[in-house]
Amino acid sequence: MNAIVGVSLLVLTPLLPLLLAFPALRSRLPQPCYIALLPAFILLLALPQGASIDLPWLLLGSGLGIDSGVGRLLLAIAVLLWMVAAHLLHTAKDEPADDRVTSYYLLTLAGNLGTVLATDLVGFFTFSTLMGYGFYALLVVGGDEARWRAARTYLVVLIVADLMLFEAVLIAAAAAGGLHFEAVCQVVSQSTSPGLYLSMVLVGFALKAGIWPLHFWLLPLFRASRPAVALLLGAVPIATALLGLVRWLPLGEISLPMLGLIIMGAGVAAMLYAILAGVRQAQLKMLPAYAAIFATGVFTTAMGAGLGDPDAWNRYADFAYLLIVSLGLGVALLVVSIGWLQARPYSPAMPEKQAADSAPWFECWLGAIARWAVQMGVDTLPRLRAAWLAKVGALWQAARAWHRALDGGERFLQRWVCAVTLFLLLGIVVVFIA
Amino acid sequence: MPDVLLSIADIPWGVMTIVLPLAGAMSSFLWPRRALPLGLATALAIVICVAGLGWQLVQQGAQRYAVGGWGAPLGIDLYADGLSLLMLMMTAVVGLGISIYSCGYFNLERARYFWPLWMFLWAALNALFLSADIFNLYVTLELLGLAAVALVALAGGADALTGAMRYLLVSLLGSLCYLLGVTLLYHSFGSVDIAILAERVESSPTVWAAMGLMITGLLLKTALFPLHFWLPSAHASAPAPVSALLSALVVKASFYILLRLWLELFPFASAALAQLLGLLGAAAVLWGGLQALRQTQLKMLIAYSTVAQLGYLFLAFPLASITGWTGALYVLLSHAAAKTAMFMAAGNILYFGGHDRIVDLDRVVQHLPLTITAFALAGISIMGLPPSGGFIAKWLLLEAAILSGQWWWGIVLILGGLLSAAWVFKVVGYAFTRSEVPHEARAVPAAMEWTALLMAMVAILLGLFVPWLLALMEIGLPFGGVGSAG
Amino acid sequence: MNWGAALPLFVLASSLLPGLVIFFLPEERVAIRSTLNLVGAALKLVLAGVMVWGIFHGSHFETRLPLLPGLDLLLRADPLSMLFVGLSSILWLVTTVYAIGYLEGSPNRSRFFGFFSLCVTATVGVALAGNLITFLLFYELLTLATYPLIVHRGTEVARRAGRTYLIYTVAGGTLLLIGTVWLYTLAGTLEFTPRGFLSTLDGASSTALVIIFVLLIAGLGVKAALIPLHGWLPQAMVAPAPVSALLHAVAVVKAGAFGIVRVIYDVYGIQFSATLGVTLPLAIVAAVTIIYGSMRALFQDDLKRRLAFSTVSQVAYIVLGITIVGPIAAVGGLVHLVHQGVMKITLFFCAGNLAETLGIHKVSEMNGVGRRMPWTMAAFTIAAFGMIGVPPLAGFISKWYLGLGALDAGQGWVIFILAGSSLLNAGYFLPILYAAWFKTPADAWPAERSFGRRETAWALLAPPLVTAFLTLAVGLLASAPFSPLQWARFITTLEYAE
Repeated sequence: MNAIVGVSLLVLTPLLPLLLAFPALRSRLPQPCYIALLPAFILLLALPQGASIDLPWLLLGSGLGIDSGVGRLLLAIAVLLWMVAAHLLHTAKDEPADDRVTSYYLLTLAGNLGTVLATDLVGFFTFSTLMGYGFYALLVVGGDEARWRAARTYLVVLIVADLMLFEAVLIAAAAAGGLHFEAVCQVVSQSTSPGLYLSMVLVGFALKAGIWPLHFWLLPLFRASRPAVALLLGAVPIATALLGLVRWLPLGEISLPMLGLIIMGAGVAAMLYAILAGVRQAQLKMLPAYAAIFATGVFTTAMGAGLGDPDAWNRYADFAYLLIVSLGLGVALLVVSIGWLQARPYSPAMPEKQAADSAPWFECWLGAIARWAVQMGVDTLPRLRAAWLAKVGALWQAARAWHRALDGGERFLQRWVCAVTLFLLLGIVVVFIA
Repeated sequence: MPDVLLSIADIPWGVMTIVLPLAGAMSSFLWPRRALPLGLATALAIVICVAGLGWQLVQQGAQRYAVGGWGAPLGIDLYADGLSLLMLMMTAVVGLGISIYSCGYFNLERARYFWPLWMFLWAALNALFLSADIFNLYVTLELLGLAAVALVALAGGADALTGAMRYLLVSLLGSLCYLLGVTLLYHSFGSVDIAILAERVESSPTVWAAMGLMITGLLLKTALFPLHFWLPSAHASAPAPVSALLSALVVKASFYILLRLWLELFPFASAALAQLLGLLGAAAVLWGGLQALRQTQLKMLIAYSTVAQLGYLFLAFPLASITGWTGALYVLLSHAAAKTAMFMAAGNILYFGGHDRIVDLDRVVQHLPLTITAFALAGISIMGLPPSGGFIAKWLLLEAAILSGQWWWGIVLILGGLLSAAWVFKVVGYAFTRSEVPHEARAVPAAMEWTALLMAMVAILLGLFVPWLLALMEIGLPFGGVGSAG
Repeated sequence: MNWGAALPLFVLASSLLPGLVIFFLPEERVAIRSTLNLVGAALKLVLAGVMVWGIFHGSHFETRLPLLPGLDLLLRADPLSMLFVGLSSILWLVTTVYAIGYLEGSPNRSRFFGFFSLCVTATVGVALAGNLITFLLFYELLTLATYPLIVHRGTEVARRAGRTYLIYTVAGGTLLLIGTVWLYTLAGTLEFTPRGFLSTLDGASSTALVIIFVLLIAGLGVKAALIPLHGWLPQAMVAPAPVSALLHAVAVVKAGAFGIVRVIYDVYGIQFSATLGVTLPLAIVAAVTIIYGSMRALFQDDLKRRLAFSTVSQVAYIVLGITIVGPIAAVGGLVHLVHQGVMKITLFFCAGNLAETLGIHKVSEMNGVGRRMPWTMAAFTIAAFGMIGVPPLAGFISKWYLGLGALDAGQGWVIFILAGSSLLNAGYFLPILYAAWFKTPADAWPAERSFGRRETAWALLAPPLVTAFLTLAVGLLASAPFSPLQWARFITTLEYAE
């Protein structure tokens, strides 16, 4: 009995938000955002010992599961954050949530819950993709030019990161038999050349988490988005990406001192950058962004240390999860408090930076390349093609001379029929004799 | 086997196939008002006779019949084997179709001249296919030519009369050459019977000269390039049923004679001569195809397509294998059915709109769906696309070409197919679009549309019943003993 | 009644006979015509299901009719043919419903549906062909039956598009004929045998075999839209949407790709092909097609032309999967035959809906259409994401197996092609989705038709939803017992088992 309840709750946790994302299915429900969180809530309360199911017929063989320790903690924090975000969404005065926002919210929620519960690479990848696209939609809907541009950067980052992770999954699948986390980590740690897999996973998730130095998409996004989304931005994609790093990498089993040292250095640099740049920041809204970068820097340092010294990681692994949790909570708190501060009537008016920020350097470059490519495709190449076709057409006209040749031939044959006949006769006889 | 069926095989069906159309011709001349039902009845009767002959051949093998009881070398023999049976069947089916079509096509004034001439031509054809000596072949060939010329002139008007005149002159020239050849052979060997000549003939300058003359004469009448110039104007200016029977049947008769002579009398013909014939055939295919593409009028286009298809027949000469001959024979049969269907369709379109300009077809596909379907199906056979008789023919000829190592004839075949595809689809494409020049439309009788469609179906069905037709062809082994693996 | 010999004929007849009858129906008899169409489609689906069940349990279905001395007209049901027959039957039923709704009130519907049925007959004949000459026969029949559908509208543009189509396909058919006849003279038989029947020929004919291979692939590649033989496909988009959907996205191009699979597997055999050295050049051609098709698609504003170039690119996946000599990649290629068909037909259905209901033909007119037609755009979104390769949709499964197979066979460069293609797909699909869902619509749609409270007619809405659902299902349930993936793995074991 318990098993059935556990299984159904596990399945419902990501499935219910997904179903409720269709407007037609939730038209009569009050407060769909909260109802969607219900299975997760019940799961946390009712099953202290954890549950898991294996679904070999789903996708390429995947499953869902939650353990009794860290996983439950993650799920709990996620539920809490999403509840707060829902509250903020609905009570925001300048941008109230409408039908579409709720749908995208629910899609992203479904994806997030699924990543927490996933037990294998493909399942994690699927849910994180759903979450990523849903989040993009949440960012974009109802926004202005700046928001669109920032969201577009995020989308490109998302696609590139997804591609890298796809390659990583392929490599893992080629090497290992199954796709569950433990199996894959074991195979990777024992393989002789884990470099490609590790680099793909690291870069992919680093892009998704905004780990310095790949954090460029994070700042414009924080600047442009609404408070609830900013909250989610701090907590959800970044935290999920960090979770992915922890799950996908064989930390605690593999020892790579050189790589660990480099990563530690990057983490320390990130922390320094966050402090320095954050201090100079005038806008209050941007503080959570720098806080997030700081926190991911801390995490990166820890991860680097773990790569260098697996035993240490094994001892302190739980702290990594706590770190993720605290990151989420911290950013959330910051956002909420700042939002509350700004909403109070006598809060000091913050000097807003110019709304029209210039686009970041990479965007200019990419934009220029894209414009050149479009011009080539739409203008230059068709022109060349038309010129070539015109030349061919002229040749074809010249070949029309065969019309006149044929006519001439017919007339000739008609006039000289007797001669032609006799000639043919002669030919036949000659051939005979030959 | 019941006695009734056995006794059926004993009736002299071959003779009846000649006598019946003669009787039909005379009676429709004597009773012009009854010409139409008499003509139709005769056509049906001929079909039954041919079926009976077929049954006879299947039961008893190749037949030789001495007319009046006087056998060769004094009298006239009639000889029926698989090849002549197939030619007779082709004539019967096409003839029946043309007869039904003509019921709706001709008005009473023209019909009184059409039916006697048509029956007379049919009698000449049947006699030609059953003849067993070369002089009889000359007689029937001459009769055939005269009847055909008269039919071409039936339409009246300057075009038709010019075409008919040219046709007459060419026909006489060809027959003259052929007769000279016959005379030389008779002088050398003392007989005109093919079987006797086959035993006696040997390679000598007289025989070469005779052969050259006969082949030239027959090439003139079969309209092989470069002696084809008379065909388009004659076939295009004649009325539609006459064009059909000219393209489908009359030119095939002289080819049949050529085939017979080649297989029976001139087995020692050099390979170079065969290559020459093949070369002329290839030129005909390409020339006819290119000319067809240029035409603006439908009937001229179809006439040039006949020139091209006749070229295919001659590709079998250099290939000289059973597969090659079978392929050529299949071209003959399927072209007969398909060309009849095409000329009937062109006749319908002419009847409907008063003109046959291709670019102004004005959505024929909507007004005459059966006609355009007939045209398209016939086109499929002419192009050599499956599943049609033309495809089988193309396959067999290609196979023979590759097997004998002379793959260049295969290239010619392919090019011919592509050229035909070009003009077939050009016509069909215009059938969907609207014309800019409005014109009044006349309703086409259902009999005319349906016969066109049925003839096209015959061309398609020829491709699906190959084993039976090949079995019929083997009776009497017309190609047996001929055709090394060259 | 010998079911084993009769069933393939019945499957053919279930669309041939209704088609022939429909030709003679008057225009106004809508009910009879629709009933005939739907009954025929349903019957074909049932019969195909019966055959699949039979194959699974080891029965044989074969019809043999004499065609030429030494060659038969052979219809045979084997696992590979059932893959294609199953796809065609399901999609024909869905497209018939769509076509009935789309062409409501148009002229010449009897002619249209007659030729439509003939096309499906030809497609199923191509699938069931048991030797190369039967294949050739139905292949040419497919050409002839699709031409009237392209020129159906009777405009000058349609006539020219039909002419281009014919030039390409008749030339392709000719090459196929030459190759077939030559092969027959060399090998003496043309029957499809697993692992091919040419490996027993001696080495002296290797050059001839390579030339024949090139001829056959060129002939088949015209319909499969391989570079540089793809030029007819974008122009054929002038046909009505049901024609573009079923024929040019599913039946005709798949017939070409299916033919290539047959030639490599059942005529030459994959090991023999690898020995001859023809697989690598073909893989390169397929890779170039993938990239080129996607790049051309980026610059098209006309929606159907963009989808056409996307088809050019995607069908080459199938060829790529086959020519990477390895069982896993073969599974990817074969299963993509089904998956791409389902996804592409959804996209074309949605494009047809947009054109019919709102008069939208260009991407630049699609701003904000997601609010006006949410269900249609939802189906489009699912199919578009499937094309990009987002899990858990159908495209992801195919790309997974292709990538895995490439790694397995040591052809790492294919991964780059796949990655590049996914990026390009995202590049030309995501802007459409963005414009549809997030941009504000223009004041008025180009040519709006109102359907009351629904966004469009039921017959136009249900088919894309069904096929979008199928896209999701074949991806999610890919490892379930009767999914296309499992069937493709079954086929591959027959070819690769030593």
